Amino acid sequence: MTEQQTTEKPIAEQDFSLNLDDLRPRHAEKRHLSDYFMPRRHSFILFHPDRCTGCGACEMICSTRNVEKVAPVSASVKVVRDEKEGKNFSILCQHCRKPLCLPACPTRAIEKGDDGIVRIDKLFCTECGLCTMACPAAAPIKDPGSQEIHKCDLCEGDPLCVKHCPENALTFTRGKAFRWIKGLRWTSQLISFLLLVMVFIGTFCYFRTGSVSFACPTGTLQNIASSGTVVLVSVSSALAILILTVVAGRLFCGWICPFGFVLDLVDKITPKKLGWPSFLKSRMTKYGVLAGAVGGSYALGFQVFCTVCPIGTLCRSYGVQSFFKSAELAIIPALASLEIAQRRSWCRYFCPVGAVLGLTALLRLIKIVIGAKRCKKFSCIQCAEVCPVGIIDADKLREGLSPKIPMTECIMCMRCIDRCPYDAAKIRFRWQKAVPGEGRI
Amino acid sequence: MKNRKDKIAEAKRVSGADACVECGRCVAACPMAEMYANFSIEMSPRGIIKKTLIGDPVVEDKNIWYCTECNAGTDTCPQKVSCRDLIRKLREAAVDENLLENAKTCKCCGRAFVAIPVEDFVFARLKDEPPNVFGVLDICPPCRREIYLLRNA
Repeated sequence: MTEQQTTEKPIAEQDFSLNLDDLRPRHAEKRHLSDYFMPRRHSFILFHPDRCTGCGACEMICSTRNVEKVAPVSASVKVVRDEKEGKNFSILCQHCRKPLCLPACPTRAIEKGDDGIVRIDKLFCTECGLCTMACPAAAPIKDPGSQEIHKCDLCEGDPLCVKHCPENALTFTRGKAFRWIKGLRWTSQLISFLLLVMVFIGTFCYFRTGSVSFACPTGTLQNIASSGTVVLVSVSSALAILILTVVAGRLFCGWICPFGFVLDLVDKITPKKLGWPSFLKSRMTKYGVLAGAVGGSYALGFQVFCTVCPIGTLCRSYGVQSFFKSAELAIIPALASLEIAQRRSWCRYFCPVGAVLGLTALLRLIKIVIGAKRCKKFSCIQCAEVCPVGIIDADKLREGLSPKIPMTECIMCMRCIDRCPYDAAKIRFRWQKAVPGEGRI
Repeated sequence: MKNRKDKIAEAKRVSGADACVECGRCVAACPMAEMYANFSIEMSPRGIIKKTLIGDPVVEDKNIWYCTECNAGTDTCPQKVSCRDLIRKLREAAVDENLLENAKTCKCCGRAFVAIPVEDFVFARLKDEPPNVFGVLDICPPCRREIYLLRNA
């Protein structure tokens, strides 16, 4: 009840009843300074289905902790066996990052601690079983005898089931300690930004010393369209970046592109995204921009897009300043401000350089795979959250299926590989069929 | 095949409803008051016990389907009346008579596993969460574990 209402109503009509928010306010998540640089690594139990024999040792040892006798039905872990398929699985609480049981509990008995462990407070639990109803894996288990709800609390950091599993099918880890790809990528982006913008000015668009030459593929296409002549040297120099794309995907966009570096920096200072209007949400737009740029160059006789290209403008910006040049530079803050709508909005929807690389990536040799059988699916989905171009299908992952990643859109920043605590995101050759956790690789 | 009268008698015997003194402790502890805006004497455990005892038609009543079958009322009862067992038996009787319009049946095994009002409550609580494509609430927990096994092992 707000202040205004209380002043209007007479005391007899005021509502003095307490609700759950007054009695048990939600535990606010404490954020440390380090969280802004590195996400916290919580402990978790990882289950390997290929090692499990379904012996039920985990159930037995777990029940000794819950009811102080060996009774597998009172355990916090449930071994499900399928004799026909020969499959075994022990269902454990995954300690989700955003637990569904937590809002479903009518008495707020479930809370997620600062250590990432989701606990049921026995004092407030009424054993109604709504947490089991809300959980996608039905991990909170109702004891058929005492009707209590048992749920894994990781034995407060020293799980018995892991110690007693005879086949080592359960392992207790904290995930990767050091995310080295992240450091490597930022270093590469910074170095290429400094080189392209400050040292070799304007080199991304066209650069030649002796027999070594390099050219922007989109600029080359526009050049061909505007002049009507094909210069073999410029075509062959544009091939360098295309060959890189065939070998390593759109590595340029994620690791080299100076404007991409600017966008990543802008993303760091705009953590809240406003969202992008859905009618503009077509990744095909960039191919349209490319066709428009080439067609416009043919009609007008000069390289249309290159005059407003943010990458080119950035590369040419450092040097002699004239009025025209500073006016041209306005394109960079204008396009970088798109970052408040979605991460890398320019790269996702409009960039014609990315469009050329995307078309080249149809001939790619490698792909990124995410094996949903190895990862924790609905409880994690960090890969879909960190993906700057948003191509990882979170709904597929929530369903428990491996998402297919369109490599024409992937900018090969490898954030998903870096972030995944379960080693489920991997780079594979295009012809390799298996994904992590599903068959041999 | 037992008739309804026998079933209600059994429900009374199992839950010990005859001993109810109508003190209302179960109503005070009942989480339904927090869950439903239209919480009333008709759906409260005390109301349902009373209706059962005076012989009102309670099996076809919608109000028995609001309960989450929790333990709060039984815990606080001075006479150890188990309102959970009573409601469970009444629901069993309703399912036996095919009064299934308030019970949700599992998509896989066809078992009635949750009451529709309870399910609506869980849905309302989860509506801020990401869209649940897994269809969690259509499948009963044991079937969910089976599906989880087949998908992941």
